[in-house]
Amino acid sequence: MTYLVAAALRRSAVAGPDAGPRQPRDFRRFNLPVQLALAAAAEVVPAAQDPTAMAVVSLAPCHNGSPELYRWVQNADTARSRGATAPARMNPTYTLHVIDNLALSAFVIAHGSDGYYLGVGGAPGQAWCGLEAVRERLDGGWEREALLMAGDQGGAGDALDGSGVALLFSVRRTAYAPLGRPVELLAIERSPRPEPQPVSAHAAEGLCALLHAVAHHGVGALAYEVPPQHTDGIDRVTVRLRVA
Amino acid sequence: MIDARHRVVVTGCGTVSAIATTAPAFWEALLAGRSGIGRIPRLVVAQLPVTTGGEVTAVPPDRADRDVALANQAIDEALDAAHLHRDGAAFIWATGLDTYQQGEQGPVFRPSGSCFAALSRPFREPRRMIAAACAAGTQAIGEAYWKIRAGRIAACVAGGSSCLLSPFYIMGFAALQALATDDGGDPCTACRPFDRRRRGFALSDGAAALVLESLEAARRRGAPVLAEVVGFGMSQDGFDLNRPPEDGRGAVRCLHRAVEDAGLAPSDVDAVNAHATGTLVGDRAEAAAIRRFFGSDWNRKAVSSLKGAIGHAMAAAGALEAVAAVATCRTGLVPPTVNLHDPDEDCELRHVIGRPHEDDVRTVVSTSFGMGGQNAAVVFRRFP
Repeated sequence: MTYLVAAALRRSAVAGPDAGPRQPRDFRRFNLPVQLALAAAAEVVPAAQDPTAMAVVSLAPCHNGSPELYRWVQNADTARSRGATAPARMNPTYTLHVIDNLALSAFVIAHGSDGYYLGVGGAPGQAWCGLEAVRERLDGGWEREALLMAGDQGGAGDALDGSGVALLFSVRRTAYAPLGRPVELLAIERSPRPEPQPVSAHAAEGLCALLHAVAHHGVGALAYEVPPQHTDGIDRVTVRLRVA
Repeated sequence: MIDARHRVVVTGCGTVSAIATTAPAFWEALLAGRSGIGRIPRLVVAQLPVTTGGEVTAVPPDRADRDVALANQAIDEALDAAHLHRDGAAFIWATGLDTYQQGEQGPVFRPSGSCFAALSRPFREPRRMIAAACAAGTQAIGEAYWKIRAGRIAACVAGGSSCLLSPFYIMGFAALQALATDDGGDPCTACRPFDRRRRGFALSDGAAALVLESLEAARRRGAPVLAEVVGFGMSQDGFDLNRPPEDGRGAVRCLHRAVEDAGLAPSDVDAVNAHATGTLVGDRAEAAAIRRFFGSDWNRKAVSSLKGAIGHAMAAAGALEAVAAVATCRTGLVPPTVNLHDPDEDCELRHVIGRPHEDDVRTVVSTSFGMGGQNAAVVFRRFP
């Protein structure tokens, strides 16, 4: 049995000194997708019984990077085109902005988790692989709780349309706070599409849309057909839930 | 006794690396102690602080989809060896990090997800992309192993690929002080795992694929069995983004979990294919971890690192090392650690130096300890 216990969404239309999520000082040097994922995760962790033992599944952004890193690359390119061959030294913090497991590592350092981990890559539609992993771990009896988190942005150098999402699951039948009722994750079903569909490269938006659907669903079974743009374009994905 | 549905075997391997472009040639070069690290002219022209690396010359460096081409070469070789087609296997794969490439109008962002999307399309689900930095390749193999053992899938192509020799990556990892900067010496000796004179790693390109399947499926198809996968373990340091704890305690937990998953004890392990990249802190912590893991037996267990020969291919590293571990199980031979001549006293282990270790090695642990603290280890055993 896998129940959705808590969830959090964080959005940031424009990254700026006051626009980003509130974070521990160390997190502020990370790029926007990672900050947003960590901010969302921090909201749901208090609902966990034991964050050190829960499974942590973290989705890498489809658009990693940061405006700072993008400016460095552009400056290096401009210098090269003017005949200056050696690029300027890179700030080591910028290197972190392309590291695919940064959110996972930072979360674990902050919360001391040492259970199962899965860093899922930033390809379109991988959110459902992350959700499948959560269900496998909890239904298989390996862990009692699991966190699924993701953050992303509109473009690699834009830091626009950023969003972060975190979902906490448990084997305990617990009410999902926004609904005041238990929400059970029953299955994630896949079947091949006859033709590939266009996709949207965004690690967090698919899960945000799922939460929106749950929030607006009444009591009973919900067969949420994932919009094609939130899948990998190859499979039709249906998430089956039940609101008690 | 575990039945054949839940036993997992390797039926195909494919590699592309700086020392060879097929798995058999890769193994031959490793046993011969050859290094694929060299001076890269375009990095010299760009006057970068690091001009050495392990380049794969089989695919042109300016090809836009080089990452896809390298990966496909390894995947094709593994599937051919296993007599399997893409639509007969799931796909769990680690690709390199996002990068910027030189475009006609300036720098172009190339997300690693686009490489995975291009590779994954013909495979069965699950098509899962792994992101765990340097541990990703090993984690991909471990995830595939667990899925097959649990009966969720019958066969899977698992592994990883990376193209890292761009000015962008060189400057980025040089900024983290992780790379062996140029010292005017022979570029082949840039990376020296466990050696007293080690000073960082050499970035490299590479790809490696393994076909894993249930023993039952392999027998039904009449596929060749190269080795058995018997355990997988993982842990997290939760310590620091750039370095492991000095005592390697996260790595120790990972090793113990891997052998426990296999139903073995540390004493059952014959050899370790180490992550050892040639960094000061990382190699020391890893050596400490291996000694603690084996206890009083540590000086009887052969330890070898491939990074001196092939460099560090990040997402591909664990998969390349797994292919070597499979070959060790088959042959009983452990390849030498290239460029290890004077072991650091803080890295004391039973190193394999100069020539292969011959001792009928049957059970090997292949380890990856990723930047950020994700650790992964897979246990391979000779079959039958």
